[in-house]
Amino acid sequence: MINILSNICIGLGLVFWFWGTFPLLGERSVLFKLHSLSIADTLGSMSIIVGLLFRIPREWPLLILALISLAIWNTVLGYVLAYCSSTGGENA
Amino acid sequence: MMDWVLLAMILALLIPIYEACQDEDIWQKMLAFASIATKTSMMILVVSVLRDDWMIGVVGVLILSVGNAALMLLAHVLRRMNLGRMNLGRMNLGRMSER
Amino acid sequence: MPEDWYMVAIAALLPLTACMLVLQVNPYHALVIRGILGAVAALVYALFGAADVALTEALVGTMLSITLYAVAVRSSMSMRLGVLEPQADPPESLLMALREVLRQHQMRLERVPYANLSALRAALEAQEIHAACIPGLSVAQSMAEEESTPLSQADRLPHLQIRVRRLHDIMQAELPPGQTRLIDTAPFNLAKSSDISTADSIGGQL
Repeated sequence: MINILSNICIGLGLVFWFWGTFPLLGERSVLFKLHSLSIADTLGSMSIIVGLLFRIPREWPLLILALISLAIWNTVLGYVLAYCSSTGGENA
Repeated sequence: MMDWVLLAMILALLIPIYEACQDEDIWQKMLAFASIATKTSMMILVVSVLRDDWMIGVVGVLILSVGNAALMLLAHVLRRMNLGRMNLGRMNLGRMSER
Repeated sequence: MPEDWYMVAIAALLPLTACMLVLQVNPYHALVIRGILGAVAALVYALFGAADVALTEALVGTMLSITLYAVAVRSSMSMRLGVLEPQADPPESLLMALREVLRQHQMRLERVPYANLSALRAALEAQEIHAACIPGLSVAQSMAEEESTPLSQADRLPHLQIRVRRLHDIMQAELPPGQTRLIDTAPFNLAKSSDISTADSIGGQL
């Protein structure tokens, strides 16, 4: 039962990963790609970590730390990248 | 089961690598870098669970929590560079008032 | 070892990203690719069981070295052009042409304003700047409050005196004519040939 739940979480995370990464290939603006990447990638990674947590519950402090740092860092990073790319100009 | 998860992760990792290779805009490359940095540390975590190896897991979490700082520093340096290119006049006025 | 096929697949990513890094031309793009290479390398090291090496690669190889290199590239790959800012702005077309030539060599143009002509020449002598944009004769003489005979077209153009030999060669070869007059700096360079500036050494590598 726990195993099936864990597999579902990891599979969901992988679907999110592909969903968030495929727009990277298109010819869209940086902000559009950043939006899809930061939402879908973070949700996918968190879902994978929850799946791993179901699988090995005794390593919970490590995985909870990963979960928290993922949530905080990716949010801050999204803001920083959007700020830097929009005030610095598009053409590098 | 976990082998197939790793295969899918490698495929997902190849997409931003290809993107970083073919796109000429530096911010698109930075996006690909951010994506790759998260994905590689997640792969380290998955492998550590797969092998039941606590040591690799700690390294994965450390890279996940500290590695993104490089990205932010680089983003700010690149922003300063582009600002210098665009608003040359304004920066020069600032420097003249210093003199 | 058929059960460890994923190790081979992940290890193959390392030469792939390394080739991408080597093939980059723009230094800033190369820095971003270096970050990607660092992330992949940390993944491979952790997979082979070298946790300490992976941590060092992520912290020093990716974070510290990229930041230091970014600062170094930003401060060295630029041409400092001294101008007389308030009285005699160099024409915008000349600056655009200069930027275009420098951009092809992955460099930046940095304007350093000076108040008068003697300060500009002193800065060039003291190697504060790589080049000086000296206004054409008509502007210079109107600044000196002096009337004179009509000037030829070439004398009216702003002069560009470049201290660094390599930059001078690049500008002579690639700058479109009709914008400026390059002043021959050969005797100046011979007198100062013992010291090599940063732009000189970098220009030599290009």
